[in-house]
Amino acid sequence: MTTTQFLSLEWKQFRRSSFFKKGLAIKILMILAGLYFAAIAVFGGIGIFFIFKKAIPDQDPFLMINNYMVYWVLGDLALRYFMQQLPVMNIKPMLLLPVKRHAVIKFLLLKTSFSFFNILPLLFFIPLSIVLMVQGYGPLMVLIWFIGVLAISFSINFLNFILNKNSKAFYIVIALLASSIGLKYFGIFDITPHTGVLFYSFFELGYTILIPLFAVVLLFKMNYRLLRKNFYIDGAVKAKKEKFQNYNLEFLNRFGTLATFLKNDIKMITRNARPKQVLIMSFLFLFYGLIFYTQDTYKNMPAFLAFASIFVTGGFLITFGQLVPSWDSEYYKLMMSQNVSYKKYLESKWLLMALACVASFILSTPYIYFGWDIYAMIAAGASFNIGLNSFITLYGGALNRVPVELNQKAKAFSNTQGFNPTQLLISLPKILGPMLIFYVPYKLINFNAGIIALTLSGILGLIFKSYFLNFIEKTYQKTKYKTIAAFSEKK
Amino acid sequence: MESIIDVQNLSKSYNADKVLNIEDLSIPKGQSFGLVGNNGAGKTTFFSLLLDLILPSTGHIENRGIVVSQSEDWKPYTSSFIDESFLIGYLTAEEYFYFIGDLRNTSKAEVDELLAEFQDFFHGEILNQKKYLRDLSKGNQKKAGIVAALIGNPEVVILDEPFANLDPTTQIRLKKIIKELSAKKHVTVLVSSHDLMHVTDVCERIVVLDKGEVVKDIHTSEQTLKELELYFEQ
Repeated sequence: MTTTQFLSLEWKQFRRSSFFKKGLAIKILMILAGLYFAAIAVFGGIGIFFIFKKAIPDQDPFLMINNYMVYWVLGDLALRYFMQQLPVMNIKPMLLLPVKRHAVIKFLLLKTSFSFFNILPLLFFIPLSIVLMVQGYGPLMVLIWFIGVLAISFSINFLNFILNKNSKAFYIVIALLASSIGLKYFGIFDITPHTGVLFYSFFELGYTILIPLFAVVLLFKMNYRLLRKNFYIDGAVKAKKEKFQNYNLEFLNRFGTLATFLKNDIKMITRNARPKQVLIMSFLFLFYGLIFYTQDTYKNMPAFLAFASIFVTGGFLITFGQLVPSWDSEYYKLMMSQNVSYKKYLESKWLLMALACVASFILSTPYIYFGWDIYAMIAAGASFNIGLNSFITLYGGALNRVPVELNQKAKAFSNTQGFNPTQLLISLPKILGPMLIFYVPYKLINFNAGIIALTLSGILGLIFKSYFLNFIEKTYQKTKYKTIAAFSEKK
Repeated sequence: MESIIDVQNLSKSYNADKVLNIEDLSIPKGQSFGLVGNNGAGKTTFFSLLLDLILPSTGHIENRGIVVSQSEDWKPYTSSFIDESFLIGYLTAEEYFYFIGDLRNTSKAEVDELLAEFQDFFHGEILNQKKYLRDLSKGNQKKAGIVAALIGNPEVVILDEPFANLDPTTQIRLKKIIKELSAKKHVTVLVSSHDLMHVTDVCERIVVLDKGEVVKDIHTSEQTLKELELYFEQ
């Protein structure tokens, strides 16, 4: 098997992926989204130099950029850990064919070089390098610096695959990232100048780029050896077996008939990779408010604050809810042939979302630091989430017939199936609804009226809960066969 | 004998392809009913229609007088195991059994009682394993799925290819279980299989499907296996 044959297989996999079976409108939207990210990277690359120059005029902006590079390294690593899949899952069919193992492994590893995560830094650093050259930094040394950065990007790429096998290492990275930002924020210790020295030395000295180059080669070799050693069906190809964990969930029995589903859902979330990812995501949503509440620009735009408040408590509700019933897609036929009442099923999902919302609200108590107004807004947002957003999200989920592979992490930007016009339309009331409900009374009367309106909207939703659930149930019944067919499609 | 499953003018087409066409078929209560046929004969399609997982193009199936696509009232007394998509991969076997028990209004104690009867069948490989169903072997998954289909005293049990992937010992035990179900408990058992020997061993009646049509409807006797083998040799 030659590289061209490998490439042809890859090309077929790409051409025949579900992406190309989408409607034209979606394709255009996806391409626009891709271009958007690319444009952000390009303009970021061009702009960052001038931003630093303007922000701190008495310092060399390039020096500052180098200082901050450490955050890129750690942040990129964290992002990749979540989003970038190990490439090993496709090698099973190759094992029995007369292909040299080293050829497959080399191809696999090189293939990862073309991932989105490696292209994005290029889009950022190429414009930056050009700007540097134009600004009078020595072109040759800038080029060497660029190669050094590129080598680091690739090191991260390969390091990620090693870390992926070892979750402890990942938490160390996260802890490093959090503590270095924290220490800097509170002015105790700033790590950036120390690491900046290394990055700057690529430019200043040049020969130090041997360090990242050496790192790439080393990490590549390590990956190679790791894969080579595990190139058996009980090795890297095989999905990890998880240790059985059991918890006493009897306390949930107080929810009566809903407890059956509730207990099952909790097991589902804690024992599968994909819902665990959702859980971490929804935890991160708790911090969403920090982006808005800390900025003075938004102080006078309370509609945006209302928007942020929805996300503080609604992270789990939105990320989990939009995939109901897809979470049960792997065994949907069982659910459909068993004695399951749709209403109970839906109500249990709603309860889970509502409980998560309450938990998020409790965890959001530190936001009192930003003032009681903000906290009241978060409370009103939680009310809206529980009473209205939950039902809107569940309705959206009912229209979303994407099978979920529970124990498979979501791949970055490959989750395009969930992306369709109906989903887009459904997300509009989720985003604009609370803003409007808050803004109109706020504009007409005052801030408190806005808060009260938002809270009342949630309570109103709760009063009509039964009606909403019936409505969603009808949607389920109407689309039953379509959903079964979609869920049993092979991925 | 009164019939429990009644099929009338049933057909299923995908575009112009007719994959199933059964004009009239009724299965009496308590019968062990075998469905055989080559790949693509329509066995799984028939079971899927029976479980209302797909809609028929024409006609309907009645399960104890209830048209399955119009009401869900047949679900409490009907259970099935078609394939692995009937298992919940992240549960242990026990958790799965109790979950099904909950859905079928069967208490934990009753489930335990039932499981105790199947100690033999499980061969010590299902219970107390501290393993999730997704990590069990195909054969053991099947065992768990089959036993789960017996929870809650169903009147109709539907098993698609129950013998495939099972080891010889378990196949023999399963045959005994199916025979007892129909003989002692008057449960109507519908089984499909590629294994002519097993199906003639177990079933009182065998229907052969070919390209969606019923081509043979045999009351099992000494000669049945020969007859079937002769038919499939062609």
